[in-house]
Amino acid sequence: MNNWFSHHMQTLELVLRRFKTNKLSTLLICLAIGVTLALPSLLYAVLDSAHGLANNVKSESKISIFLTLNHDDAAVENITTALKNEAQINSFKFVSKDDALKNLQATDTNKDVPSSNDILGSLQNNPLPDAFFIEPKQLDNDSVESLKSTLSKLDGVEEVIVDGAWLKRLNALLSLGQKALTIVAGLLAFALIAVISNTIRMQILTQQAEIELSYLIGATKSFIRRPFLYAGALYGLLGGLFALLITYAAILLFNQSLAPLAAEYQADFALHLPSFSVCFVICTLALLLGIIAAYLVASKSLSKSVS
Amino acid sequence: MITFDNVTKRYPSSHEALTGVSFSIERGDIVYVTGHSGAGKSTLLKLVATIERPTSGIVLINNQNVSKLKEATLPFMRRQFGMVFQDHKLLYDRNCYHNVALPLAINGITGHEAGKRIRAALDKVGLLGKEKAMPITLSGGEQQRLAIARAVVSRPSILIADEPTGNLDRNYAADIISLFKAFQQVGVTVIIATHDALGQAQKGNLGLENKVLHLNHGKLAGAGLENAEATT
Repeated sequence: MNNWFSHHMQTLELVLRRFKTNKLSTLLICLAIGVTLALPSLLYAVLDSAHGLANNVKSESKISIFLTLNHDDAAVENITTALKNEAQINSFKFVSKDDALKNLQATDTNKDVPSSNDILGSLQNNPLPDAFFIEPKQLDNDSVESLKSTLSKLDGVEEVIVDGAWLKRLNALLSLGQKALTIVAGLLAFALIAVISNTIRMQILTQQAEIELSYLIGATKSFIRRPFLYAGALYGLLGGLFALLITYAAILLFNQSLAPLAAEYQADFALHLPSFSVCFVICTLALLLGIIAAYLVASKSLSKSVS
Repeated sequence: MITFDNVTKRYPSSHEALTGVSFSIERGDIVYVTGHSGAGKSTLLKLVATIERPTSGIVLINNQNVSKLKEATLPFMRRQFGMVFQDHKLLYDRNCYHNVALPLAINGITGHEAGKRIRAALDKVGLLGKEKAMPITLSGGEQQRLAIARAVVSRPSILIADEPTGNLDRNYAADIISLFKAFQQVGVTVIIATHDALGQAQKGNLGLENKVLHLNHGKLAGAGLENAEATT
């Protein structure tokens, strides 16, 4: 066990020594890996923030209930209590048909065309129904749909309209973004493997004499392979850390410009920095990809060089 | 200790490098493998060192049949040998000390113990003062001795040297040969390939007790092992 441990520590030392003698090239490779990883990380940060925006957005109403024209006052009270007891509802507002008519008359300001006031004035009865405007707690499709079906069963309800068009669009955009993220991340993972395996291949070429000699005097393949696996893992890890640095810097820079933009829309929106667990996942993935790349190329080169 | 029984080695798309070779070497022997260049000396040494496997026939090293060994056990087999290569195979990216350290690292020996052994090996070949020197700055004879230090540092039971005196002048060559004899005297089996062994024998460098395997176009001349005197 102790022997095993010292073996690995030695290998690590050896690899770090090699990195130290090639500082510039190591730095450049890690930067290249960092940039490669920073792209999906940034995309993830943007999507994650937009997702948060979609979930937290406050709007006046998402569901409108229109009552039948010939209902009585009891029905309104019934619906009010039902809405108060419904756990899925954040808040709601009742607009009577008289109020609705007044609102309509007030908002009609276009004097050039025959206005709806004239039309409305010509009517004997108010054609507008009483209505409730509801803001649900959950905005995802399923809970909104189930709420809709519950509400439409209430007495005196003529029609329930879900005002979800923009919400659906946003969700569709987000899922598109998520697919794009998956594809970009997958492609860049291949790029990462290519970059690391090329680097390791170059190292193997420069160490060819040592590899050949070691093999002749009794080194096992895993002994020969080990330093390269460590190098791959370290490239991945350092690249991952660079990627986080780049992501952090880019997000901070973006937020400086986003703040005034968000203020224009009276929204409180900023990209948030990736959480610790996301950073951990990015670094671990980079490290694993480094090991995989190094393993592939080292195994291939070794079987070529020693047989 | 080492037994070859009717061993043939044929390289792909090539002639037979060795044909029907049989001999045996005892513990503590010093054996010269001689013959013209291309006679199969290096191939024979590679078969002994388990770097190559025979095409047919049996190679026994310490009573283990090399052909039957699994690929994964060969590296451990090879660690019993100290190898001095024809082209030295010194690593020019590190100093003498770290060149000698490599076999120990492969054997998992490091730190203080390794340092002691490395200095002892360098001392034995007379290079103790040059442990920090880079191999490229050494003379041909010194490089050869460095290669020997690397071969003996892990205390192998069998020392194999391929043309260790090849490019050296006579005085250096005599030095190297006496170095190998010193190892033989402490019980190490020594196998040396040289195209010049007979010349050396005539000059009295080879004693009567030495055995000679003389190869001619991949075949052993005579009955196999003979005394140097008999072949001269």
